[in-house]
Amino acid sequence: MPDIFLPLVMSSNQPPRPPQRIVIDPITRIEGHLRIEVQVQNGRVTDAWSAAMMFRGLEIVLKGRDPRDAWLFAQRICGV
Amino acid sequence: MSNEQILTVPHGVSRRKFLQFCGLMAATLALPTEYAGRIASALTSAVRPPVIWLEFQDCTGDSESFLREPTLIDVLLDQVSVDYHETLMAPAGRLAEKSRLDTAQKYKGQYVCIVEGAIPTGSNGVYAMIGGRTALSIAQEVCDNALATIAVGTCAWDGGLPAANPNPTGALGVRAAVPGLGTLINLPGCPANVYNITATIVHYLTFNQWPATDSQGRPLFAYGDEIHEECERHDYYEEERFVLAWGDEGHKQGWCLFKMGCKGPQTKSNCPSVKWNSGTNFPIGAGHGCIGCATSKFWDRMTPFYRALPDD
Repeated sequence: MPDIFLPLVMSSNQPPRPPQRIVIDPITRIEGHLRIEVQVQNGRVTDAWSAAMMFRGLEIVLKGRDPRDAWLFAQRICGV
Repeated sequence: MSNEQILTVPHGVSRRKFLQFCGLMAATLALPTEYAGRIASALTSAVRPPVIWLEFQDCTGDSESFLREPTLIDVLLDQVSVDYHETLMAPAGRLAEKSRLDTAQKYKGQYVCIVEGAIPTGSNGVYAMIGGRTALSIAQEVCDNALATIAVGTCAWDGGLPAANPNPTGALGVRAAVPGLGTLINLPGCPANVYNITATIVHYLTFNQWPATDSQGRPLFAYGDEIHEECERHDYYEEERFVLAWGDEGHKQGWCLFKMGCKGPQTKSNCPSVKWNSGTNFPIGAGHGCIGCATSKFWDRMTPFYRALPDD
């Protein structure tokens, strides 16, 4: 896995490098489980992906229940 | 504790506040008041056990509940060393993982593992992945080598909300997902009450043993009594004075919420005495029935929440 600290400024006379992939997983200090992947080429971010790494399926759990209960389920999506 | 002994109170906490904390802990643990001195003495000399706080299929509600009690936090965070907590820690990515691995290795058998959230086992555990690893494999590794594991909240106890019918991700609580742990303390509740989390840890720091538990691993000091029996509206129940509609005269008078679906008669928890938000109130006191959040499988067994329990 590449180091997360990359030099962002590169001199122009260096040969182009193959793209590097940076993975930060988990992203901390947020609620939930987030993963970020960043593609870096020659010191520039060329692409990025984010992914939520946790799934509970609350939409599926809610199906068919008494609608008066829905707020108690949905409120638990995030406790922050 | 003798008068000659100098009480070194935790950093940033006044002596008065600290002693109040010790008194509160003695009360929460249902100990006689003279134990406050013993707790104070133990806390000022205790070693700080490292804590690894794992979050899996959670909403961070238990952490939030915990952090909303500044007095408890000021004192408690001086007593333990929280080495890993995804929502609070400074490092991210593999440096965060390193913090957890280092603590688990260096303090093998000496750290406390706190688990928040359920552990999904469906589809080989892909529904909760941290640092490329499944929640299940992390839980197995960290809980197995811990001094003790504390499951905070109902999700960590029996799967909670993610495990509600039809349990789309195969979510389990710690006791089912990682069976055979030496010491597992369950603190159900949605969220778990911060006083009970703190008192459980304080009990260990003071007496060098974990509080007595029932057959489900729940401390008796917190889950020994029915909410209904301790309820401030219990007399209205006996007098058959019931709220029959939201906002009716009985509701305004603070009568019993049994007919509005209150699950207090089937729920064991110390909510009526310990309460929430620095002892401000609890759901029944605020005019809403108990939803039974400290009972097993309450999202299925206690719903519909507004349907009255059968008369017994």
